[in-house]
Amino acid sequence: MKNNLGKILSLFFLGMILLQAEDFAYTFKVDKQNPYIKEAVILTLDLNQTSHDKVLLFDFKIRQSDAYHFQRLDSKETDTGRHAQVHYVYLIYPLKSGKINITFDLLKKVTTEESVAYSFSGDRDNVKGLVTVDTPAPLPPLQLQVKALPPGTTLVGNFKLTEQIKQHKAEAYEPLPFQVSIQGKGYPPVLATLFPKEGNFTRFSEAPLVQSVASRQGTESTVTYPMALSHDQSFTLPSIEIKAFNPEAEKSYTLTVPAQHLEISKADVTALVDKSDSPKRLKADWSWLKTLLGYLVVFTAGYLTALSWKWRKKTYKGVSHPLVQKVQNCQDERSLLQVLMAADDQHFDAGIEKLEASLYGDAKISLNKMKQEILEQIR
Amino acid sequence: MNEKITLLKTELSKAVIGQKAMIEGLLIGLLSDGHILVEGVPGLAKTTTINALSSAIGLDSKRIQFTPDLLPSDIIGAQIYNPQDHSFSIKKGPLFTNLLLADEINRAPAKVQSALLEVMQERQVTIADETFKLDRPFLVMATQNPIEQEGVYALPEAQLDRFMMKLVVHHNSEEEELEIMRKAATKSFAEVEAVLNIEELSVLQEELAQVHIDKELEHYIVQLISATRDTDKFGLESLSSCIMFGASPRASIDLYKAAKAKAFLRGNSFVTPADIGYVIHNVLRHRIVLSYEARAKGMKTDEVISTIVETLPIP
Repeated sequence: MKNNLGKILSLFFLGMILLQAEDFAYTFKVDKQNPYIKEAVILTLDLNQTSHDKVLLFDFKIRQSDAYHFQRLDSKETDTGRHAQVHYVYLIYPLKSGKINITFDLLKKVTTEESVAYSFSGDRDNVKGLVTVDTPAPLPPLQLQVKALPPGTTLVGNFKLTEQIKQHKAEAYEPLPFQVSIQGKGYPPVLATLFPKEGNFTRFSEAPLVQSVASRQGTESTVTYPMALSHDQSFTLPSIEIKAFNPEAEKSYTLTVPAQHLEISKADVTALVDKSDSPKRLKADWSWLKTLLGYLVVFTAGYLTALSWKWRKKTYKGVSHPLVQKVQNCQDERSLLQVLMAADDQHFDAGIEKLEASLYGDAKISLNKMKQEILEQIR
Repeated sequence: MNEKITLLKTELSKAVIGQKAMIEGLLIGLLSDGHILVEGVPGLAKTTTINALSSAIGLDSKRIQFTPDLLPSDIIGAQIYNPQDHSFSIKKGPLFTNLLLADEINRAPAKVQSALLEVMQERQVTIADETFKLDRPFLVMATQNPIEQEGVYALPEAQLDRFMMKLVVHHNSEEEELEIMRKAATKSFAEVEAVLNIEELSVLQEELAQVHIDKELEHYIVQLISATRDTDKFGLESLSSCIMFGASPRASIDLYKAAKAKAFLRGNSFVTPADIGYVIHNVLRHRIVLSYEARAKGMKTDEVISTIVETLPIP
């Protein structure tokens, strides 16, 4: 009894690390230091500011690793005033046996009350960031001595298996719904393959449905594997055995899906036109020719549209200047002057002056000659 | 033609090759106290022309590049605090000049455009509680770039109306461009000398006032402007669905003044219908608002003006 009490006390001190840094103190607590692979370990972290002459904030993270999987269960952060306190609880599942190190990243962020207040006072168009001086605070890794599982173990935890098959008789190729559920506490029992993909039957399956709730006691999971089986003749679904290990009781056990015999009645093919699978074609399929002709028509239409635009452009080129007709239609000098004034073109200044001199002065000009001169200018 | 005008044109041609329409438009604006809006791509000698004109008449000229962050005080001026004697002094803005080039006026927001356009109309500036009259002549040549429409503040019609003329400046001919290229390469552009002073300019303006315009032509001007408002009355039914708003009475005034100035620049002491024809497109093109239907058809105000000129009988 005395020896047992001593063991418990020594284990408690081993699992608790209390350290004092420059501005803060921190405590790591783990509920077990020698877990099995995939056995739940609860890690508790407490960070307390000890130097109250500055405003301090913490940014703590567990570094990702292949050696373990983790999940945060609880967090309490008090950043008010100069008494920062952080309390985190993590659920960790070691994934490798032997000595593993759980490593951490801690960032110490020093700021001021003004900066904290300022960062909250910005509006939508004037966002003000919190100004901090960040310093990484090195934390020693937490070491776990992980025990290996008995050989052939697939699941870790305390699970029970239930299977459900609604009917044992069906027509040929009629799907037979079949469902297997694994439920219990432990590392989530998600398996890549439960049954072989193809046996003497066809199996249709989808991704397993996983429902998990993590707590300080571990993870409660229900994993359901929905399937459907199909065949054209009777067959037997073989028995499946899954080896599991309960780390709390330190005992191995087996979950079994019992063998199932399924009766398939043959389909009546006498009334069918095609009595054999994949019969040969009765006539040639010329639908590709129709598609090809359709493409050719569309291509030709597009090509001709492009050409027609070009033709239209050419005809536009041939159209004479709009002034030509107007000038030719002028019956007297006054109307010709009007047309030239409306044209707003410096090239006709000389013509305007001549017409002006004739209309309002003593000069004499020939209307036809004038029109000819202007038409030559236009051309 | 008046000798002084000939001299002035000759002097300007030393610095500006081609662009006769722009030079003539500027001279019309200068002689008739109007302001000019120029639409053209960059590099068409707009600044050069303004500088050459100011040098040739011995006037002061300034250039403001309009930008979206420009403030009214940047152009009209502001009150500056002097901490040494605790007093405020007036710092006059670049508006206080004779010839002002407002480059890319549609780049500045409406409040800056309004500040400038108000000064153009009133010819006086109020800074704090002090009002300053602008020296005469005061001519604003504002430019707009027709190829960029992103991030611009288009001038509203009411403000466009304050410009006497809108000139559309085109590229020079190949021969002119060759001459520009050679002169620029050899730096052989001659120095523009002052051939006119402000007093002589005033005399020219007085002479311009004496140019005769017949009553029939006065009626013709009014009819041309009325035709933009009531097309059906003048047998212009084809235009009735094309015009949303016709030209304002300011257009009649400016067309009258511009036609007289054109006649004067041509060396005549009287106005002919051709003088009106020479300037009507420049005076009206920014004052007629086309309907959505007309714009959808790709119609331009110049086409509307041409149709009106062609239809209304000249005296």
